[in-house]
Amino acid sequence: MSIKLGLKKSSIAFTALLLSIGMTAQAGVVYDYIKNNNELMIATDANWAPFSYINDAGEMEGFDVDVGREIAKRMGVEARFITPDWGVITAGNWNMRWDVSVGSMTPTAGRSEVLNFPAVYYYTPASFAVHTDSPVTTLAGLNGKNICTTASSTWEMYLEGNLDMLNAPAFTYKVTPGTITALADGHTCLDDTRLGAGVRNDGIIDSVPMIQGAIEDGYPIKFLGDPAFYEPLSIATDKGNNDPELDAEIARIIAEMQKDYTLTTLSMKWFKNADGSSNDYTVAY
Amino acid sequence: MFVDTVIEDKALHKPVFLIGLSVTVLAIFFAFNFTNTIFGEFLSPVIGNPEESGFFGRLAVSFVLTILFVGNLLLISFARLKIQILIVWLELFILFLAFAYSFDLEIAYIFSGQPSKIGLMISKGLFTTIYISAVSIAIATAIAIVGAIAKLSNNGFAYAIASFYTSLFRGLPLLLQIYLIYMGLPQLGFMIDAIPSGIAALSLCYGAYMTEIFRAGIQSIPKGQWEASRALGFPFGLILRKIILPQSVPIIIPPTGNQFIAMLKDSSLVSVLGIWEIMFLAKKLGAKDFNHLEMLLTAAMIYWVLTIILEMIQARIEKKYQQKT
Repeated sequence: MSIKLGLKKSSIAFTALLLSIGMTAQAGVVYDYIKNNNELMIATDANWAPFSYINDAGEMEGFDVDVGREIAKRMGVEARFITPDWGVITAGNWNMRWDVSVGSMTPTAGRSEVLNFPAVYYYTPASFAVHTDSPVTTLAGLNGKNICTTASSTWEMYLEGNLDMLNAPAFTYKVTPGTITALADGHTCLDDTRLGAGVRNDGIIDSVPMIQGAIEDGYPIKFLGDPAFYEPLSIATDKGNNDPELDAEIARIIAEMQKDYTLTTLSMKWFKNADGSSNDYTVAY
Repeated sequence: MFVDTVIEDKALHKPVFLIGLSVTVLAIFFAFNFTNTIFGEFLSPVIGNPEESGFFGRLAVSFVLTILFVGNLLLISFARLKIQILIVWLELFILFLAFAYSFDLEIAYIFSGQPSKIGLMISKGLFTTIYISAVSIAIATAIAIVGAIAKLSNNGFAYAIASFYTSLFRGLPLLLQIYLIYMGLPQLGFMIDAIPSGIAALSLCYGAYMTEIFRAGIQSIPKGQWEASRALGFPFGLILRKIILPQSVPIIIPPTGNQFIAMLKDSSLVSVLGIWEIMFLAKKLGAKDFNHLEMLLTAAMIYWVLTIILEMIQARIEKKYQQKT
């Protein structure tokens, strides 16, 4: 079945390619396909609870998954999720394998060369964390130390001092690490930190909900200082199959979901603090 | 293997060897210092508090471990060959389990949930893994036969294409091939989804390795067989089908079986395309509650069991073809 689907899509992609020789933007090609097929294909990495993950029943679940479902619902089509590696999503050139990414992607100048960012739907704080036995007590104490994070993430860009987020709240570089340990899977950083302060790294930087989840799961780590920066997180579409109509539709739906507090409700549902209170991450700080 | 008719005394039963072995083992146990482990606690009635037992405690623990180890070897050496193999397998397996257990993992996590995590991996991932491997193996075999014949032919085009193909696909890492096919082909207008991309990459890569195996197998048949068949007036296709290939199959089977087993495990690489096979599910299911190592160990066990089954099948096939020749 997937091959048949692929061929059908390929003919559309091919038509789009032919048409794009004449003009740069192809109004409505992807959106028409979604409507005709009655299905919105949503790409999201299944590696990140509580954003998107595989639940106990073996199904996709999380904040991003709920937002994706809601977008499809408001478009009047079915939602279908696919779970490629993060690097494959951010590389662009999706060729209509999937239509949108609802995967908490931060718009950066580099990514915007291959992807469009029609709508920012929430903001998460990123924070440093250290082992509970760590002698480091302030953010300045991490200067010159070994910090671990996910490779090609905004956190790595922050550590390198070249974070080029678009439409982001203002921030300053508070830490200048000595060594950056960038791992393909950021979860490994947490496991490394668990081995002890300074064993494989002196600290990590990751999103607050993620670190919160690890602490609740019994990892011996603690937050260090206030959040380093807030990153806007956006829906992404493919620049290779540029479709202004789809982008406009997504922007409209997200604006609507902000207005009727759907996004706020979902944020309160998924992002809990240790004391049980909830976070509304849909407004920038 | 060749069964030797000259029977010597077992090395373990020679006192000099036995003493030498014991001293070496004692030195190793002493060097690693097992005093603060479970063994020290077992011996605490003799050596007192393991942490304060010092040199004497360390020596005592090493001594007891040495006696256990060498005594175990001696006992096994008196058993029959089959029993020996069985006992050693069991002991190594128990050691492996103890090793995994010592990671201080939440083993119960693997069986938690309804359906359990391991159940999810088997129900959702196992079929995909087997399906991808089986289809890839079938295609790779077909490619290999064609490739081997092309590499052996006098046709310049066929030889050039086949040798370029084997050179390219043996020369690139499989992971890279997966990415190239998945992301590169659509640029040419061929849109293929994740599973067909994975199958294509696996088949092409293993097809290249197996081409070389098949070529070597066909070449190992003495030239006289070709000449005799030609003298009898057989056409080329018939010689290959009825005379050469049946003789090369027993030579080809063992390395081909190895390739099958290797491919089953390399199919884990297609997890980067988001295909829900065993490796993908292990990584993602572990990520949710931060139980990565537990799920990776589960995947390891599933792959191991699959491999053992394949090894058994391979042994049977080999036996069958050995009898024929």
